Amino acid sequence: MGKVAKDIMNKKLETISADATVYDAIERLIDKRIRSLLVLPKNHDDSYGVVTVRNIIFKVLAKNLDPHKIKIGDIASKPVLCVSQDTPLEKILEIMNSHNIARVFITDENKKIIGVVSFFDVLYNVLIEQAKK
Amino acid sequence: MLEKLLGGGKLEKKAITKIQEYLKTLCAATECLKETLLQESFEQTYCIENLEREADSLKREIIGIIYEGAFLPYIRPNLCNFIEIIEKAFDHMKVCAFEYRYILNSDLYGLTYKNIEEECLRIAHINVEMCQILIKSFEALWTKDNIRERNLAIRILEKKVDEIKLELIEKIRNCNLCKITNYWEGKIMSDFVDALVSVSDVIEDASDYLYLLDLSLR
Repeated sequence: MGKVAKDIMNKKLETISADATVYDAIERLIDKRIRSLLVLPKNHDDSYGVVTVRNIIFKVLAKNLDPHKIKIGDIASKPVLCVSQDTPLEKILEIMNSHNIARVFITDENKKIIGVVSFFDVLYNVLIEQAKK
Repeated sequence: MLEKLLGGGKLEKKAITKIQEYLKTLCAATECLKETLLQESFEQTYCIENLEREADSLKREIIGIIYEGAFLPYIRPNLCNFIEIIEKAFDHMKVCAFEYRYILNSDLYGLTYKNIEEECLRIAHINVEMCQILIKSFEALWTKDNIRERNLAIRILEKKVDEIKLELIEKIRNCNLCKITNYWEGKIMSDFVDALVSVSDVIEDASDYLYLLDLSLR
């Protein structure tokens, strides 16, 4: 495919604090029509996490837990998988496949998260490139 | 389908070549707009008007050829409509270039425009990509290739523009440092953004029209 992470990544990152409730996250996901939120580290020693619709369903709603009482930090997946912005798309797909994950976060040279590549970004890119041929 | 449309006539071939030229002019105009925004060049904005004039004369030629008798009668209005849809994209780009000249020469160029410059460039780049796919889509109509895939790709890109448009509007509204001090500055900015994001809408409409034309010819 010849493209790298920065060519197809989505720079719009929605974040949420680890102390927010699951209900706060549900509201954000619905309002913004997105599927995941980046969970901010609690302090310097902490790492980024991600909370997805899947986390919320299986770790909270399916267990009949109250989303108002559960903190995001308790259900977020940590640490998130990150790659540099020059990582080839093939490598990203390999990571997604081997780790069975739907999104990979993209970092700049200072290891700061600047974007995300999800299954949809990959799918869109493949369809657009095919259409150009 | 090809036979049904062309009937092997010289006029039809001439019309198709001219329509392809027309679409290439559209593509050149989107590229010109992108370059203008990239280089922040006042002079370059005029290339859009020049290309629009070129396209206008091509449009007259195409419609003339069609009404000379190219294509089966029921296809003629559809092709004319297709050309007229594309014409709207030129109009939007012309407005965009016109307002951009005012932006470059006013206080808007400082914080207000710079605040949304990245989004504007992303949209201008997507417009170019959409045009390239539209050309392929038009070719696919004659080569019996897959228009549906191209139509989907154009819809995906249009959705991206829509998302960027929302980000852009949010950025303008929430920018405390941006100074829009009077009605005209606000109108210039608003018309510029509106015109820039409308190009992709028109290309999507044209792509949908081609897709329907393809379906009707099966």
